[in-house]
Formats: sequence, structure tokens, C-alpha cells
Amino acid sequence: MATATYPPPPPYYKLYKDYTTNPSSAPEPPPPIDGTYVCFGGHYTTDDVLPSLEDQGVRQLYPKGPNLDFKKELRSLNRELQLHLLELADVLVERPSQYARRIEEISLIFKNLHHLLNSLRPHQARATLIHVLELQIQRRKEAVEDIKRRREEVQMQLKESLRILDGC
Amino acid sequence: MDIISQLQEQVNNIASVAFNTFGTLQRDAPPVRLSPNYPEPPVNPAEDASTFAEQTKLMSAALVKAAKQFDSLVAALPLADGGEEAQLKRIAELQADNDAVGKELQKQLEAAEKELNQVQELFSKVTDNQFNMKRPD
Repeated sequence: MATATYPPPPPYYKLYKDYTTNPSSAPEPPPPIDGTYVCFGGHYTTDDVLPSLEDQGVRQLYPKGPNLDFKKELRSLNRELQLHLLELADVLVERPSQYARRIEEISLIFKNLHHLLNSLRPHQARATLIHVLELQIQRRKEAVEDIKRRREEVQMQLKESLRILDGC
Repeated sequence: MDIISQLQEQVNNIASVAFNTFGTLQRDAPPVRLSPNYPEPPVNPAEDASTFAEQTKLMSAALVKAAKQFDSLVAALPLADGGEEAQLKRIAELQADNDAVGKELQKQLEAAEKELNQVQELFSKVTDNQFNMKRPD
């Protein structure tokens, strides 16, 4: 059973021959990539943003615009979903050949639901950040109080020991 | 699991209950008479019509339960209606607070280190004197 050997290391290792004696003789590491790049044949982008539904060719059922009431929209999408499932059951009983249109609408509702949930993630990230910052501020304040208290104790003990030494 | 992942999980649950329901109905439904022109379909007693009706009820109850659970999860969303700008403002405030407290902490730390060094120096002087039995000046 023939096994392939590992690929050789990249040829620019020779440039680092004198790294131990003179670190600045070797080339600097490449700067961070900006924009799009190709990795192992796949295209990736550094700007990770949730593509809007229109970009994916899906009709958006909930209203656009700022300050979306997520809870209300999620609930109304849920009700729509239930109604469409009932419609599908009816269609299967009465006009079975028209199932395709109903199934398309049901999958549209599911896509909208998932997209709405995904667009909540940035909000969650910011809320997590706020929580972490609050915890950190609290911990730092406690540390400051702790240090102040210990310093005062030290001062008192020094004064005390001075008093004792002067007494004898 | 965080609430948004639970919501996503619940959506997928609803989907799987729905297609399981329809699949079971399609597979197990007993034959039904479509028009008076066709003869009566052979009633197959081994099919257990009552079990089938029960199953249908259970499956539709599961579907409605899943949808209700989704609603209750949505109600549990901690979505303070601040919007993005309010959150960003709060983050900026917290960062300023954090910086101020950090500077205070740094100051205290430096003072405490200085005092520690002083005490250590004095202590070493005292011990030296004790070793050499010299009178403290």
C-alpha cells in the first residue's frame, strides 16, 4: 500500500537562517488580509455579515425598516405557519395535485423564521459584551477596595509595631 | 443552551413533527370512497381504524404543543426594546467606566508595590542589624 510522503516545508525557510543571531534579518510576517481571499480553493471573505433574504432570492414576509418588533413578528410567523399546515392538509384531501404551491409557501415561512432568528444574533453578541464589561467593572472595583483595605491594615500594623518598639 | 438556539431548535422540531405527521397520514390512511361510481373499498379490519384515528389525534396534538412551546420561548426572549444605538451607547459608557476603574486600580497597585518595597527594605535592614548586634541608629 503506497502512502504519499508529507509535502516539503515552504521554500522560504532558508530566509530565516540567521534568525537567532539577528532577528531583523528575516522577513516580517505578512500583514493581515483584508477583503476576500482564497483558501484551499474556496473563496472566503473577512467581512462576515448575514446576507439579506433578497440576496438569497427569498421573499421577505415580515416588514423591513428599523426597530423591528421581533417577538410580534415571530409570533405572527408561527400563526401563519400553522394556518398553512392546515391548508396543506385540506389541499391533500380535496385537490391533491396542488400540493406543490402550499409546500413552497410553507418552506418560505420557515426560511423567514430562520432568517429572523439569525438576525437576532448581533443583538445577542452586544448584550453578552455588555454583561461581560459589567462583570469586569465589578471585579476591578472589588480589587481596588481589597488593596485599599490591605494597605490600611499594613499602615496600622506598622504604627502598632513602632509604638511597641518605642515603648521598650 | 441559549434562548436563540432553543428557538432555532424548536422551529426545526415543528418542521419534523409536521412532515412526520403528513408522512404517517399518507402511509397509513385507510382507503376512502371517492365517488358513487366506484365500488366500496374493501374494509380491511386488520388496519385498526381506531388506532389510526388515535395516532392522528396524538400527532396533531404534538404539532400544536410544539407551536405553543415556540410561542412561550418567544415570550421568554430578553429583548430590551433599546435597539442597536442604545446598546452601543451603553457599551461606550461601560468602556469609559472600565477605563476609569482600571486607572484607579493601576494607581492603587503602584502605591501598594512601593509600600511593599519600602517594608522589605526596612525589614532587611532590621535583620542585618540583628545579625551584627549593632545598635539601631
